[in-house]
Amino acid sequence: MSNISLSIASSGIDAAQTAMDTIAQNLSNANTPGYVSETPDLVTYNGGGVLHDGAGVGVRGISQAGDSLLTNSANQAAGNLSQSSALQQVLSQAQLAFQEPSATGLSSDLNSFWQSWDTIASNPTSQAGRSQVIDNAQNLVADLQQAHAQLQTTATAAVNQLDSTVQSTNGLLAKVANLNGQITATQATGSSANALIDQRNAAMTQLAESIGAVGAPQSDGSMQVTVGGITLVQGNWSDSISVQNSSGTYSIQAATSQATLTNSAGTTAGLVGALNSYLPSYQSQLDTVANNLENVVNSQLAAGYTATGAAGTALFTGSGAGGIGLNQAIVNDPTQLAAASTSTLPDASNDGSNAQTMANLFDAPNGPDAVYQTLILNVGNQVSNMQNQVTAQTSVSNAANQNLQSIAGVNQNDQLVALMNWQQDYQASAKVISSVNEAVQSLIANV
Amino acid sequence: MSNVSMSAISYTPNIISSQLLQDLNLDQNQQATIEAQLGSGDVVNAPSDNPAAAASIMQLNSGLSRAKQYVTNANDGVGWLSLGTSTLNSVISTLQSAQQAVSALSGEALSSQQAAVTGTTAQLKSTLQQVLALANTTYGGQAIFAGTGNVNQAYDSSGNYVGGGAAPARTVAPGVSVQVSLTGPQVFGSGSTGLLGSSGVLQQLITDVSAGTTTSLQKATTTDLSALSDALQSVTGQAAVMGANYQRMTGFANQATSAQTALQTQISSEDSVNLAQASTQLTQDQQTYQAGLWATSQIEEHSLVNYL
Repeated sequence: MSNISLSIASSGIDAAQTAMDTIAQNLSNANTPGYVSETPDLVTYNGGGVLHDGAGVGVRGISQAGDSLLTNSANQAAGNLSQSSALQQVLSQAQLAFQEPSATGLSSDLNSFWQSWDTIASNPTSQAGRSQVIDNAQNLVADLQQAHAQLQTTATAAVNQLDSTVQSTNGLLAKVANLNGQITATQATGSSANALIDQRNAAMTQLAESIGAVGAPQSDGSMQVTVGGITLVQGNWSDSISVQNSSGTYSIQAATSQATLTNSAGTTAGLVGALNSYLPSYQSQLDTVANNLENVVNSQLAAGYTATGAAGTALFTGSGAGGIGLNQAIVNDPTQLAAASTSTLPDASNDGSNAQTMANLFDAPNGPDAVYQTLILNVGNQVSNMQNQVTAQTSVSNAANQNLQSIAGVNQNDQLVALMNWQQDYQASAKVISSVNEAVQSLIANV
Repeated sequence: MSNVSMSAISYTPNIISSQLLQDLNLDQNQQATIEAQLGSGDVVNAPSDNPAAAASIMQLNSGLSRAKQYVTNANDGVGWLSLGTSTLNSVISTLQSAQQAVSALSGEALSSQQAAVTGTTAQLKSTLQQVLALANTTYGGQAIFAGTGNVNQAYDSSGNYVGGGAAPARTVAPGVSVQVSLTGPQVFGSGSTGLLGSSGVLQQLITDVSAGTTTSLQKATTTDLSALSDALQSVTGQAAVMGANYQRMTGFANQATSAQTALQTQISSEDSVNLAQASTQLTQDQQTYQAGLWATSQIEEHSLVNYL
């Protein structure tokens, strides 16, 4: 009888020891990314004999408190947030191209440009007014070219970020496949692969953030990774992805299937969206502003005459915000600005009526000022919408993470209370052993 | 601490600390926004701060720079017109004294006539010179009666008009342009009815008076005098036109100035930081932030670990 008591008590000590080990593991990993809180699976051993009075306690395994639904929704929220954040960062960067509203932006330089035509109109023979027009035109060209360059720098930075994200994603895909292999092999031997699963969880979250990947647990313990229906990891096999650029349109392609990932989440989706639609749209709207300015000014000049009575020539040359420039002949000799509306000499040198008509174009409907204001309104709206979206998705993602944490996370207080319980269990089992020992000792002494 | 919701989830220390951090970041962002506003003095520092306001500020600024230009144009016009008006007044008084001198000739006794003829001839010659000089008045280097045809002078030394084209005008309001001067021929006439030139009224008077014969003096005091009086009337008429333009120009200058003030007020109401409001808001945000920091230090301290 007594030897059975001893073995029951020793199984209790073993179970309490395992439970305390689990708690130690939980507490030390409370802040480890991907870690899922563990609990020992205890089971009662049935005793033999006539009375079936039990044979102690056993540890069947150590289970994880994971919840695949909560994990998926947290990962999905993280993917959406990453997409919006990436897009918002690129757009905020692009917004720097437009220093508005300010006293130094394109808008205020346009105002000065139109004003300087009034100066010519008041005093057509004065060189000061004409030089002022040339100076202001040079400012406009510089503004447009700078804005163009800033948008291009933004695009280049986005492409670099896209490349490095894709590179790190390929590393993660290979890592998940590798872990899949190890987990399947470990579980086949009946051992616990919890530590490997934790590592895979962390990698899956990163994959959700980078490409919006979705994980589907398989019966053999492996995780299938898909993006928009295209499988990237299956068992211990993984595909790689690459950035494709077909004349300015970017996409992400899987190497084996050659299929384009139509993912709508993750950093890559945000960057691809910025590169394919937002930045080209800003660039083309800015080009419209430049071309519009060029058309409006040049056609008014063509209607007038220079100080020597010659027909007016174009002031702006080139095309688009990046290509716009000034006619060097006029820059060198501002009297060639067609300020007069008569070719008769000497009137032409002293007539400023065409310059006045030019100055009045400042609020021309569909003129450069109006087109530029629309562009600023568009950029401002999109950046501000994206900022709001990031704020909203941060809340969603935090809430999803908290839901997951409340199940899978480690609550130190709970663990400490449990630790005390197991400590008492351990002491109780030890007490049983010493009691049985005393009983047997006293029996031996009396015999 | 806006995000703490009473849901049924179990709060692990991780959740609480991440929530606290999120809220602290939010408080800090709000402070940064207000600090940027206070630093620049502008509510809208980038288009995304308030897209509609950014576009409207740009439009208002464009209107403001236009209004400023209208003020400049109108003030320039006022300068031209006030010089023009005073010039014409001088022309009128010069011509009036000539008119009196010539009329006086008819009542002169024969004995003193020779002296009177010499004196009047001299006065008429100087009148011609004065009117010619007045006709060539310049404003900022531009001859005001020369139209667009000539910058430096309206009449050459023989009294021939060397200007051309229309009188210059200034745009002072959208679609409104006011002439800031008149052309030489408009003021001084031309040909035999004009004041200046070899066949002009003044030259005719000089010729007739200086000839000194009874017939020529007769002509000078009748035909020539009435031609002079017609020319004088025409100058007086043009002075009235110029005076009216001066009034209009002053009116437009005032109007443009008040438009400028109104636009400036509107821009500052859209874009300027309300200092009292912003600093109160900043103080509130700072207090919230401090409360958050305090709460963080309190909550993070309390763990069972401290009591075991």
